[in-house]
Amino acid sequence: MSAGTIRIDGLTRRFGAHVAVKPFQLALGPGGIIGLLGPNGSGKSTLLRMLLGLVPPDAGRAEVDGVALAGDGVAIRRRTSYLPGELHLYGELSGRAHLAWCLRGRGASALKRAHELAAGFELPLARRVRGYSHGMKRQLLLAAALAPEVRVRVLDEPTEGLDPTRRAQVLELLRADAARGTTLLVSSHHLGEVERATTRQLFLRQGELLDEESARDLYRRARESLRVAWDTAPERALLERAVAGVPGAELYLAEGRATFFFRAGGGLTALRALLAASGLPEPRALTYGELSLAEVYRELYGVEGV
Amino acid sequence: MGRLASFVVFTLAYALVLEAMLAPAILFWPEFSANLDSIRAMARNVPILGQEMIGRIEDEGFPAYVLAQHFFKGANALGTAAAILFAAPAVAGEAHRGTLELWLAQPRSRARLLLERWSAGALAVTLPVFLTTLTIPLLAARVGELESHGPYLACAAHQALFLLALYAVTFLGSCLSSNPNRLALVALFLAVLQFALYMVKTVTHFSLFRLCDMEVLMALAEGRWSVPIVLTLAATVGLSLLASLLAFRRRCP
Repeated sequence: MSAGTIRIDGLTRRFGAHVAVKPFQLALGPGGIIGLLGPNGSGKSTLLRMLLGLVPPDAGRAEVDGVALAGDGVAIRRRTSYLPGELHLYGELSGRAHLAWCLRGRGASALKRAHELAAGFELPLARRVRGYSHGMKRQLLLAAALAPEVRVRVLDEPTEGLDPTRRAQVLELLRADAARGTTLLVSSHHLGEVERATTRQLFLRQGELLDEESARDLYRRARESLRVAWDTAPERALLERAVAGVPGAELYLAEGRATFFFRAGGGLTALRALLAASGLPEPRALTYGELSLAEVYRELYGVEGV
Repeated sequence: MGRLASFVVFTLAYALVLEAMLAPAILFWPEFSANLDSIRAMARNVPILGQEMIGRIEDEGFPAYVLAQHFFKGANALGTAAAILFAAPAVAGEAHRGTLELWLAQPRSRARLLLERWSAGALAVTLPVFLTTLTIPLLAARVGELESHGPYLACAAHQALFLLALYAVTFLGSCLSSNPNRLALVALFLAVLQFALYMVKTVTHFSLFRLCDMEVLMALAEGRWSVPIVLTLAATVGLSLLASLLAFRRRCP
């Protein structure tokens, strides 16, 4: 059965000379929350937009909820719901009118559900949207995206701009939705949340999908990482000498901190070596096995925004 | 609903202004006709085509006066502005304010989204021309002129087609642009330039307003349609709409 699934086969999109999304093959679902992760400009939004027919692909095929991406993608948009990443709304409309506009063609039950969700978010639907805060706008669009009865939802940055309480509320809604068998493809900058909420993670980098092994490697590194923070980081040569005997050690040095990645078990050995090494200043903080994926990603690829 | 309401308000305002230009003009007809000699004398100082218009009103009387006031002056000036101002932000405005993605993400085909918007704008541009034209016989009766709807509605149909052509071309520009203000300014500048060209006898034939001027309208009022002009305008509308559909199909948020 292909209901609730997402299949991607070589979707490619160029913007001039820049290849925003490079071809890869992928099958997702049915069901679950799939995190789509990557730094700014990695191609996440372009990929999501291609899946919905909002950006025509240059090559490749895709299938969402059993329907092939063809023409302008309307057949897929009818079977999915979408939360855009960018928050541009019709400020002159009231929240209520905006929900009705977003849900045109979705039926009265979707609008009713959206009103219930908006009430749960405590949104003042009678007020004009131009008076909404950033977070309220996000919640309004979330209410519209979570309301339709569909098997696949594509959510671009669903928790961006929300306070911690609302984030938790939204993640709970996503989990409940996934528990009903819905497939949620979620792009996010908040990797910590994604780690907690998602059942599978995809990593995009410069339009390329990291293979599953690379993704697993990120997790492994996250579990076996050692971060040592000093007020002023020591010289690299000094640190390399300190962990010279530790097999497979990788060192990433930034201002005021060093991050080491090791093979299984190497972390504690390295820690002992570091503590015993002469000439190293006393660390301000030590973190072992607790780095977030965002931090791991940043250390490995030197990019912010994940 | 809010968007529809604001659209209706703008359309009603356009219709009211058009009517506000028509009604006083007709009610002023008795004074105008009584002072035609003086007006002709004054017209020596206006462009040659203005003098010709006065001459035509002198020959044809009330119908020519109404055609000049309502269609050539009112609908051509105000209608052109309305056509441009309704069309320019149709798609470019969405891109400019960043709401294009939200619009395109709706579970409707691109063609349907575009045709909905195109049709609403087309109706807003043309409907007030017909509605105000319907009031001409009523207003004419107030000044002792007995007029029937038929000839004026034929002129309204031609005027609507002319405005629709302007609207369709500007709409195509909107499908290709992300800056509605610049598009509207350029289109308005070109329209004013075309109107200025019309008033200069030596270059008047380069003006688009020749397609909907007194000569064409008078012939229409007498039941003589200019098939080449109508076909040209209809083809402009059709081709512009087709090009808009193609451009919109490839449009990215």
